[in-house]
Amino acid sequence: MTSDVGHIRSGSYSHDLLLHDHDGDMVEGIRAFVEQGLASGGHVIVHSTESRVAMLRQALGSHPRLEYGLDSDLYLSPSSTLFAYQRKMAESAEPLELWATGTVPLGDDDESHAAWARYESLVNEVLGAYAFHGLCTYDTSALPARVIAAAKATHPCVSTGAHRATSPDYQHPADFLGNPLARVPEPPQAPPAVTLVLQDLHDLRGVRHRVAETACSGALPRSAVEDFVTATNEALVNGLVHGRAPVDLTLWVEPSKLTCRITDAGDGIPNTLSGYRYPNASGPRGLWAARQLCDDLFVSNLPDGGCSVLLATG
Amino acid sequence: MDSFDGLAGNWDGHVVLIHHSEWQRRRDVAAWVRSGLDLGAKVIYTERAHVADRSLRSLLTDEQVDAFGAISRGQLRVLAASDETYTAAWQVSMVEDALAEGYPEVWWSGEAETAWSIMTPAAHADVEWETDRLCESRPVSILCQYPAKLPPATLDAVCAMHGGGVRESLLRTSPCAEGMVLAGEADASNEQVTRSALRAATSAFVRDRFVLDLRALRFLDVAGVRSLLAGTAAYRSSGGVVCLRNARSSVDRVLRLLGVDRAVGVTVEER
Repeated sequence: MTSDVGHIRSGSYSHDLLLHDHDGDMVEGIRAFVEQGLASGGHVIVHSTESRVAMLRQALGSHPRLEYGLDSDLYLSPSSTLFAYQRKMAESAEPLELWATGTVPLGDDDESHAAWARYESLVNEVLGAYAFHGLCTYDTSALPARVIAAAKATHPCVSTGAHRATSPDYQHPADFLGNPLARVPEPPQAPPAVTLVLQDLHDLRGVRHRVAETACSGALPRSAVEDFVTATNEALVNGLVHGRAPVDLTLWVEPSKLTCRITDAGDGIPNTLSGYRYPNASGPRGLWAARQLCDDLFVSNLPDGGCSVLLATG
Repeated sequence: MDSFDGLAGNWDGHVVLIHHSEWQRRRDVAAWVRSGLDLGAKVIYTERAHVADRSLRSLLTDEQVDAFGAISRGQLRVLAASDETYTAAWQVSMVEDALAEGYPEVWWSGEAETAWSIMTPAAHADVEWETDRLCESRPVSILCQYPAKLPPATLDAVCAMHGGGVRESLLRTSPCAEGMVLAGEADASNEQVTRSALRAATSAFVRDRFVLDLRALRFLDVAGVRSLLAGTAAYRSSGGVVCLRNARSSVDRVLRLLGVDRAVGVTVEER
């Protein structure tokens, strides 16, 4: 069931899906969104591929609060794009209302499609507290059905520009991560490079050194390995402090990919999306930092108690 | 290997060794004795009489330091703790005797728990402040051994009375002209120690700009950042500026990710 939800409310969060099969519909939908954004006094960002940006610029003209951008500049990786938007919203000195519209790059294989689908879902968690408005355009004539199905599950509303309605297929991010369309990565099938057990915080240092030594045998840049070690450290601290020892670490090293699984023996974590929202001044920030120091970080509860954190870079 | 390779050599001044385990204490005390003997210093050690498992001789034997040679030639002296061994006048006379014998400097160590078996912790704190002055006025380096499990206020006070800085299993602090050097690894295992060391150093600091030199800090995590901000909070709220200098790139990324560069009263120098 869909139900009409009226106009986007200024000052709140929205993340709409615009499905189109030719450029005219896309341009009209974006035009309505941009006009509303400018009328609200907010900043508007229109981003797409080079040819579409040229077309949209011609159709929409210019305005001091209207900015055009290229996907290649905006979308470095799903996780860095997400947190870059969050920082912009959370750390702005003045109240900021941001209207962003365009196409998400998606990549060119199933794995990358799924990574961007998870991005679309997590936008709702990472930016849900801000006056952020997204209108994401998906071309139904060019994209695989799987990608369109994921888009419907990751946008709370569908819009034509003129009309908005709730998306009947929308799933909460925590549920979407369990959807096969999200393809949450699994640890490699190959045997791990290292397995270690920690009993307390004094074991951290030795484990960090083992992980760093083992991880730098791959082809990843030194900075990526260092950040991966810091992210791993935070997940271990989380397990020791908020979960319960023993905390087990398993590390897989592939030529250009590091994967680490950390499990603790505690009671599990109440919210598997911990660390996506911007931290409070005095609140914990270990998982929030860890999520930004590696490419992917998934938290889940184990069937027989305990919490599992899967980290990957590369 | 110890995480302080290349750093451990510096035991100058009135230094506190904070130990999380007996294993760590024995390893670090052995390294300290070895350095003192190698340097040609007179090494004096105060210990509880008749407490075999805390005896320096057995510790050195286990850690393969030649104690007997050093004792027989008079370079190493092990004293049984008594009321007298904690009086300033007696300590000064011991130091003067050693210097008169021709030793260029005197190294002295003992456990806080040894002192606490003889006097109250409050009386011992007064002795510690005297000792800090002794280290400033004579070529004396003193290593005081404290267990890590102390209440936070006590740990703050212990750090404050040791002007030569803190040695911990992963971390070392030492004073420098413009502030303090923080070396090693600051993580969740030594969060309290880092916070206390910074609180002690900044509360005694009179100028309005405190430089924290991070060139030898190899790792910093979220807990380390928390201790860095909490340890300097009082200094910054009274108008002081903490200047973080020479952070390596991995540490610099963590500082900026956690917004330390935007915290009130902090500047992170560009690398």
